[in-house]
Amino acid sequence: MIQLKKVIKLRTVVSTSAGMALATSCYLAGLQVANMVSGDLAWISILVAGLLALLSSLNFSELTSLYPTAAGIKLFIQNAFSEKTAIIIGMFYVVLGISMVGAESYLLSSVLSHSFRLFDLYWDRLFWIIFFILFVGLINLRGVKITGIVQDILTYSMLSFLILVSFYAFWKHGFHFNFPWHQPNAQAGGILQAAGVGIFLYVGYEWVTPLAEETTDYRMISKGMMIAIGLLSVTYALFIVAMHQGLTEAQLRSGTPIPHILFAKNLLGSKGVVLFVFMSILASVTSFNAGLLNTSRFTYAMARDNVLPRSFSKLHLTYATPWVAILGLVLFSIGISLVIFFTGQYLYIIMMAAALECFIYVVMAICVIRLRKKIPEASRDFKIPFGLTFPVLTILVFTGLLIGIFADVTRDYNGKVLFQNYWVAFGMALFFLFTAAYTLFVVPKLKQKAAVRAMARKRRRPGKA
Amino acid sequence: MASKEEILDALADYQVQCNNNKRLRKMQRNWTRKLNFVAEDTGNVFSMDVVNGEIVSFSAVPIENPDIIVTTTSENLCDMFWGDLNPSQKYLQGEIRVKASQEDILRLDAISMIIWPDD
Repeated sequence: MIQLKKVIKLRTVVSTSAGMALATSCYLAGLQVANMVSGDLAWISILVAGLLALLSSLNFSELTSLYPTAAGIKLFIQNAFSEKTAIIIGMFYVVLGISMVGAESYLLSSVLSHSFRLFDLYWDRLFWIIFFILFVGLINLRGVKITGIVQDILTYSMLSFLILVSFYAFWKHGFHFNFPWHQPNAQAGGILQAAGVGIFLYVGYEWVTPLAEETTDYRMISKGMMIAIGLLSVTYALFIVAMHQGLTEAQLRSGTPIPHILFAKNLLGSKGVVLFVFMSILASVTSFNAGLLNTSRFTYAMARDNVLPRSFSKLHLTYATPWVAILGLVLFSIGISLVIFFTGQYLYIIMMAAALECFIYVVMAICVIRLRKKIPEASRDFKIPFGLTFPVLTILVFTGLLIGIFADVTRDYNGKVLFQNYWVAFGMALFFLFTAAYTLFVVPKLKQKAAVRAMARKRRRPGKA
Repeated sequence: MASKEEILDALADYQVQCNNNKRLRKMQRNWTRKLNFVAEDTGNVFSMDVVNGEIVSFSAVPIENPDIIVTTTSENLCDMFWGDLNPSQKYLQGEIRVKASQEDILRLDAISMIIWPDD
């Protein structure tokens, strides 16, 4: 059998999957988990969230082995349901997903403005937000690609660094893990609810599925996702508990958006701050860069498929990158970031991202069930064992978590209510209605225009005119 | 079902269209790749050698260890080389499967988009 000259190895699948999930906002989301379960038990919620992410990865694995393509999620939904459903859900997931950059850029700008003073805190933050997004937009436009080996070095260095720092913090503070049966106030409900927010820590691990086309064996993607989730679980569980222990009561109560920087200062002094700032920049740039790369390609493909206006498929003549799609997404990201900058509600985006992940996991599990019925004989290199047990379990668990997130209230460390989470559900529902209306009313017009153009064009193939 | 000769004719036209398009040549000037096209219904495999954006050769003999492998029906291959189908649409429908990096997939689609912009 003919094989590709260059193929991606398992270690790169793992590093890409874990690298997509590692971002600056994860430290804050992790602290939010810790706050929900009084700190010491955060590791349980994080591991539970990891197990749930593992459950969801089974569905992605089966679907990727069935359709190993970068068109991924859209194709899964299209074949399980219909093209319209695929456009609605695909656009909802991808566009809402990129809004995470709002929280990410706000938090990174907080890190940078805390560390380097240019003007004053307000203007510095605004400057870094815009600089960060434009910088990533520019490297995307130039088609700068993070190669497999660079991705490996970045991800594995970040994970090793976080684990080492955690152990150092435990050693310094003489900390040992607490178990729930040693905690009189530990409640299973609270731990599970925190696990719902903990899902945010794994957001993006599934974006590795487009790499299926660059592997020798599609099962490598499932294996890679599972190993990545395992590595992330261990790293987060250690680091979040260490960070929570390493912050003072006053720092926890301050509702800081940069807990990892304060933790680094307490533990390692100013040198530690420099290291963590560097880590934050790396994590944010790599995850946003990969996110923008995938999203702009998705936008380009949608435009080529006459689902979005044709201008989004324009390519840059020098760099061969979809510059209109990149520009549109950069402007969208700046818009979302400015909303976060003026409102300060970055936790809203974190809650929304966690809910969005729960939603897409449910959709993927339904796709597995539908496709098992529609095309039972189709070849699957990976098939989830025990029939429909795991897909059904995925639907039940993540629907429960989704409802749990929407029914909850987001509070800061002091217990002050920041917002009712039903506003997250409201925002998402509104955007879902928008994508549905766009698909039902605008897409048919774009498709009709394309059909007219195609009719006017003479077939070039001899004998088929 | 398109025969081997029909696909070779289509490839010959595709080569002329690509090599004579200045915009495309500019965009692909650093793009050097070896491609295999597999017609899954007939089992025929075609290859193409692109050097700095120019299609220097093509044949009905596969290349070992190519950079890109495109798999679809012989009809789709023939229509694609004649510019009678939108490769992106077929790719999104799962009718065309590509083994390559995401950048190469985009560049491959870009060829059709630039040569036949009205698709």
